[in-house]
Amino acid sequence: MSIDNPPTVEVDEPEEPTNRPRPDHELRAWLSRGYVRKILALTIVFVLVIVPIAWLVIHFMNLSGAPASAIMVEIERTMFVFTLVSSPLMAITLAILVYSLVGWGRVSGDEPPMQESPAIRTNGRAVVIWIAATSILAGFLVVWGLIELATITAYANGSTPPNQQPHAARAIDINVTGQQWLWTFQYPDQGNIQASTLVVPVNVPLYFNVTSKDVVHDFWVVELGVKIDANPGAITNTGVTPDKLGTFNIRCAELCGLHHAYMETQIKVVTQDQFDAWVRDMGGKRTV
Amino acid sequence: MSATAVVHETRDVPQPRQHGKPGGFLRHTSIVTGLVSGIVLAVVTYAIGSHFFVPWGTQNADFTQVGLNALIAATYFAWVIGFMAGIGALAGPIRWALGHDLTHDDAEYMAGKGQGKWRYWKYTTDHKVVGIQYLVMSMVLLGFGGFLAMLIRTELGATWTEVFDPNFYNSIIGTHGIVMIIALIIVVTGPFGNFILPIMIGARDMAFPRLNALSFWLLFAAVPPLASNLLLGGIRDGWTVYQPLGTQAPIGMVGYQVTIIIFAFSTGVASVNLITTSVTMRARGMTWNRVPVFVIGVIASSIMGLVWFPMFQYSQILALSDKVINTSFYNPVHGGSVWLYENLFWLLGHPEVYVVIIPGTAALMELMVVFLRKPLFSYKVAVAGFAGVVAISSIVWVHHMYMTGWAPSSGYPFMLSTELISIPFGFLVLVMLGTLWRGKPWTRLPMMCVYAVIWDKVVGGITGVYLSDVPVDQYMHGSMFVVAHFHYMLMGAGLFAAIGATAYWFPKMTGRMLNERVASTGFWTAFFGFQLTFMSMFVAGLQGMPRRVLQFDNAFNISNWLSTIGAYIIGIGMLIFLYAIITSWRHGTIASSNPWGGKTLEWQTETPVPLENFPVLPVVTGDPYDYGVPDPYGPIPVEDTREPAVTR
Repeated sequence: MSIDNPPTVEVDEPEEPTNRPRPDHELRAWLSRGYVRKILALTIVFVLVIVPIAWLVIHFMNLSGAPASAIMVEIERTMFVFTLVSSPLMAITLAILVYSLVGWGRVSGDEPPMQESPAIRTNGRAVVIWIAATSILAGFLVVWGLIELATITAYANGSTPPNQQPHAARAIDINVTGQQWLWTFQYPDQGNIQASTLVVPVNVPLYFNVTSKDVVHDFWVVELGVKIDANPGAITNTGVTPDKLGTFNIRCAELCGLHHAYMETQIKVVTQDQFDAWVRDMGGKRTV
Repeated sequence: MSATAVVHETRDVPQPRQHGKPGGFLRHTSIVTGLVSGIVLAVVTYAIGSHFFVPWGTQNADFTQVGLNALIAATYFAWVIGFMAGIGALAGPIRWALGHDLTHDDAEYMAGKGQGKWRYWKYTTDHKVVGIQYLVMSMVLLGFGGFLAMLIRTELGATWTEVFDPNFYNSIIGTHGIVMIIALIIVVTGPFGNFILPIMIGARDMAFPRLNALSFWLLFAAVPPLASNLLLGGIRDGWTVYQPLGTQAPIGMVGYQVTIIIFAFSTGVASVNLITTSVTMRARGMTWNRVPVFVIGVIASSIMGLVWFPMFQYSQILALSDKVINTSFYNPVHGGSVWLYENLFWLLGHPEVYVVIIPGTAALMELMVVFLRKPLFSYKVAVAGFAGVVAISSIVWVHHMYMTGWAPSSGYPFMLSTELISIPFGFLVLVMLGTLWRGKPWTRLPMMCVYAVIWDKVVGGITGVYLSDVPVDQYMHGSMFVVAHFHYMLMGAGLFAAIGATAYWFPKMTGRMLNERVASTGFWTAFFGFQLTFMSMFVAGLQGMPRRVLQFDNAFNISNWLSTIGAYIIGIGMLIFLYAIITSWRHGTIASSNPWGGKTLEWQTETPVPLENFPVLPVVTGDPYDYGVPDPYGPIPVEDTREPAVTR
């Protein structure tokens, strides 16, 4: 302000300062402009349109089955929160886009338009507000993500959500081996029985040692939110505690050659008794 | 043009002696001699090599494939060397070795003076010729990649049957990916960086005109090895070619590695040239705060290409070495590591996305001010945004490897850096929105591309924030959601921005106006087809459909059918747009030198642009965004406060 007004202006003119809005009135004056109100209204409308998408996203994720582990619950919660949190930014962007097309007038024709738009070089306040808002948003997402990552890592290691009892049963180790193009599951604690379909007891922590015989595969238990690469020459670890009975999908999520699309199997989450019976049938030892 | 000749002659520089006619050896070379010499050398190498390499390969069971791979690699490199020699790329170095300097007449001949249309088929150094060559090349590559995309969607749409053999299907996935990546890397910096940028900064040519020709013809030579892979067993491993799957691949895979190695040279040469030109060749008076933002964008993109492309090249040199001399960099059985490949690959793989998006975004910023008659909002924020994206893009690559099991706790720092990149990226959105603010858009096609691209960028950006989060990635990684996300970024924000830039600079580059009625029809058809295709693909990904599959559960049928319908609509739209480009180029109405009323330098010279761009080099006295009228709401300008004082 002071740079724009050279001292040649006589400051003792009484009318001069009143032409300018006082700082505390600036926001009100700005909000009283028609286009500002319309853009804000449009923003609210878009927020109301976008927010239901958060439920839609969860709906699509649940089409093949509701989350079957605490990890998957956290993943869906993160999707939901991220959609909600990013909705105002998306809405205001769309509102300005739409209003720019219809609100401030348009020019068509073949010749360059003669009337020029206002020469707005920059606006310090707008820049600061935008950077602050996006930084706070990004900061929130980072913090949320770090906490969630720590949470699901703990769940993968057999912890339980805070409102639940710790798991009574001992964790079951399962050696997962990918090869072109099938999965093999080996239960070292149950007498090394092998299966091509994963059968596990409900509410017992599972600990996967994942490797591959040939190329890189990716062990994806869809409804349980488990995913880890199966690398040749290395063992990768992850874990989960299924908390729902049922049959869920296991897919390969890394292109592994000719029949990658068919490299899928199932995980059957059963009760402890059914699991023990299954282990007996397979010729293994009972769990202790 | 005569004026420039005068300028040169009045300088009292001793000219080297003219050996023979201007141009010398280059008078006899063209793409024809290049093709002949490349094919001859390739055939000779194959014939000789098959006597040496193949028996070498049969000595040991481990080496059965190695001999063949070495033979094919040698043949491909022979093709590249033969082609480059045949088209005259070696003429300069040989002339140096013989102690002959270029005369001014030689240089003008090499720039294509007096050769008519034939100069587009020669080793021509004029940046405008190279720009047009890049434009056509990128359209050919995009057409080829787009055709493969149609094949992919055909396979995925017809769920009740397999249309293609699985091997062929995997090959077209990989080839589509890498062809599109190459096409998108060149689609803005190639045509517009070469044709427009030197004029925009008031230069007569690029800093290194012969390197400019070298970068294009290296790219040209790199494409046949890639395209031929479909005949030699194909790239069956996606564009990423994760190892050790890549080492199992048939001999066609060698074509991929040779192409990447050569293409990285081409990109490096082009990046050095663009950066040097922008830094050293600006017109007098074009200080850094007066540089058009497109130039800043191209510099940013070139820096990333220059720094990170070698990583991609190393990754493929090691992979080629695994294939042709049986080393084990990536083979875990003999102590190699698959994670080594993944790290080297993604060190480029992620900055590459910004290499594509940044010049396109900068081009849109450049044109939107013209169509809004308004200065760019916060030039400095735009520059800061580009700088921030360049800086942070180099420390985010591990977000492609969250699920690989390599250093599981790396998820924490790389989630932090990845989500932080949304802040400088937000700067760019702010600049575009601020420029739109209270402007009256002139609703021509280039301007409409701005709206389309901002929408795509918002969708792609927000889905990118999901994917940067490790827990979400644990569900989404390797699913169709990822595919839809990066298509929103690369195609929605990258390709559509390139379309806007093409529509904007078409009059300057071709001398004719684009038939906007047809072109807009094509663009909007493609745009709505695009939304249908990739919105449906988001749904498929959320439902849990893995990517790169050719058969899937019935649960994913509806979203895939919609996606395929959308893909065909994109195809139709792109064909209409291509038709508009071709017919306008041949029969369009003649364009004036400044049809949009732009203020940057490229619009101040005549159309078609003369050989050395400007009769007299311009001197810049203001910034390029000097549009607009005093803002009634803005801070009261100096004139207004003075006026009452004068009247009283």
